Amino acid sequence: MEKKSYVKPTIVRHSIGVMNKYGRPPATVPMSRLAGFDVKELVAQYGSPLYVLSVNQLRQQYQNLFRAFSTRYPGTRVAYSYKTNYLKAICSILHSEGAWAEVVSGFEYDIARDLDMPGDKIIFNGPYKTREELTRAFTEGAMVNLDNYDEIQVCEGLADEMGKKLPVGVRVNMDLNNPPWHKFGFNIEAGHAYEAVKRIQTGGKLDVTGLHIHVGTYVDDVNIYAAAARGLVSFYTYIKEQLGVRLKYWDMGGGYASHNTLNWAWQSAEYTCPTVDQYAEVICPILLNGPFGSGDVPKLFIEPGRALVDEPISMITTVVAQKRLPGGKRGVIVDAGMNVLSSVQWYNYNFQTVQDSGVTVEDTILYGGLCMNIDVLRQSAALPPVRRGEHLVIPHVGAYNISQSWQFIYLRPAVIAVDDGKIHVIKSRETRDYVQKMEQVPDEFQTYRTVNRK
Amino acid sequence: MSEIFSSELTMSKNGFLFDHGSGLTYTLNATGQFIFHLLESGKKSTHILEKLITEFDVTEDTARKDLDDFYRQLKELGLIEQ
Ligand SMILES: Cc1ncc(COP(=O)(O)O)c(C=O)c1O
Repeated sequence: MEKKSYVKPTIVRHSIGVMNKYGRPPATVPMSRLAGFDVKELVAQYGSPLYVLSVNQLRQQYQNLFRAFSTRYPGTRVAYSYKTNYLKAICSILHSEGAWAEVVSGFEYDIARDLDMPGDKIIFNGPYKTREELTRAFTEGAMVNLDNYDEIQVCEGLADEMGKKLPVGVRVNMDLNNPPWHKFGFNIEAGHAYEAVKRIQTGGKLDVTGLHIHVGTYVDDVNIYAAAARGLVSFYTYIKEQLGVRLKYWDMGGGYASHNTLNWAWQSAEYTCPTVDQYAEVICPILLNGPFGSGDVPKLFIEPGRALVDEPISMITTVVAQKRLPGGKRGVIVDAGMNVLSSVQWYNYNFQTVQDSGVTVEDTILYGGLCMNIDVLRQSAALPPVRRGEHLVIPHVGAYNISQSWQFIYLRPAVIAVDDGKIHVIKSRETRDYVQKMEQVPDEFQTYRTVNRK
Repeated sequence: MSEIFSSELTMSKNGFLFDHGSGLTYTLNATGQFIFHLLESGKKSTHILEKLITEFDVTEDTARKDLDDFYRQLKELGLIEQ
């Protein structure tokens, strides 16, 4: 007798939220393969949790973004925001596609130089740059965007030392979002940006050749970029007239959204995330209307991070347990914690089953595997029944989770890259030796060992 | 283990369950419905386990764990008493 196919039995109480007037929650289509490989086999070989990069998808993300902007603003350069994910393999792939590097520390600057990015293809941002780092950046011809007066003073000192006028960019901010991003650079509305440029130009040691703005991160309202671009154009017009500034570049920063749903959003990112063409379409025409002729068009830089690397990386996790909470809700515990998925503080990630578990879903809270109460990966997700040992795939985890991960309780996972059917390990799973390599235990602290031995 | 339904329940052909006592509604998946019918007709858990492994493509170990989980769900929802 042919046996009937089997799914884990389940019963789900109907409640508000699981199904509503917008229909069912996103269907739980089993995702048995990832970048062409069987998920179970990947885990068998490389362990769980596991980050999986699709190299093809990463290249496509870059090409699409570059096309969207460069066709609308000739000469646009994409400078990849290293902090989003500075695994060397990932930076290398993006550099081979033509990306420059946007770095915010000496550490990141060194990575870019190690990967043979010449200084003049590096943009150096960030509120904290040491004198040594600035010296190296100017010597190697990097674009340095200044954030505050202390930096202006340090750079004037360097200009004296180097015996030449140094080109600098000025980072500005505007009242664009709520709450406004005032931490970085000089505010335009308050007049601080004008004061700073005036101060730099009259000092005579530095020359303002760039303007930089970064409006925020995951900014899914293209109007904010439109307002920022208009603000840059009018500010440039003013400092050109008043102070004779001639820009070589302007830099619209990053912040372009990826297909992940923010956890306070009531609609899924499928509906709310603008395309790169929509961003480019609002930004480029406004900037091209700036105060310049055909001979002195400033170069346009954009500094995308999450829009490039979020979507090409998925994480495979394994269910380790499930339980019922006192209120009746189901809890599922997986082997990855928020220490390797820090973006759970912003995103409602999708958790996709790997095996066919039927269509009956239940409202579930997903816990990470850390012995820590706040380790919740998602407060509420519609999941079919799952068992210990089964896998859940979380798509779109490439931005920030790896560079912001912290070692805690467990060893951090490996990262593999799938390229044309070939698998490369681009970061090995951590070992305890590696984690404890920098530690020393003085003998005086170990007297218990001799005591115990007696 | 003896399962007794705690209230009056009606299930439709596609697994929609109505509790006349509380007015609450539920959905059971195919395997859930199968087990539910057996429970309804008063079958013991050992019999249900046997039925599952003879009729479905599942190992005894998995079926046992899943049943255990399913009964806990039913109990949690107040649909069976032990
Ligand atoms: C100066 C600068 N540029 C670019 C980025 C990249 O941002 P995103 O990943 O949102 O594109 C950041 C990140 O916050 C940034 O601070």
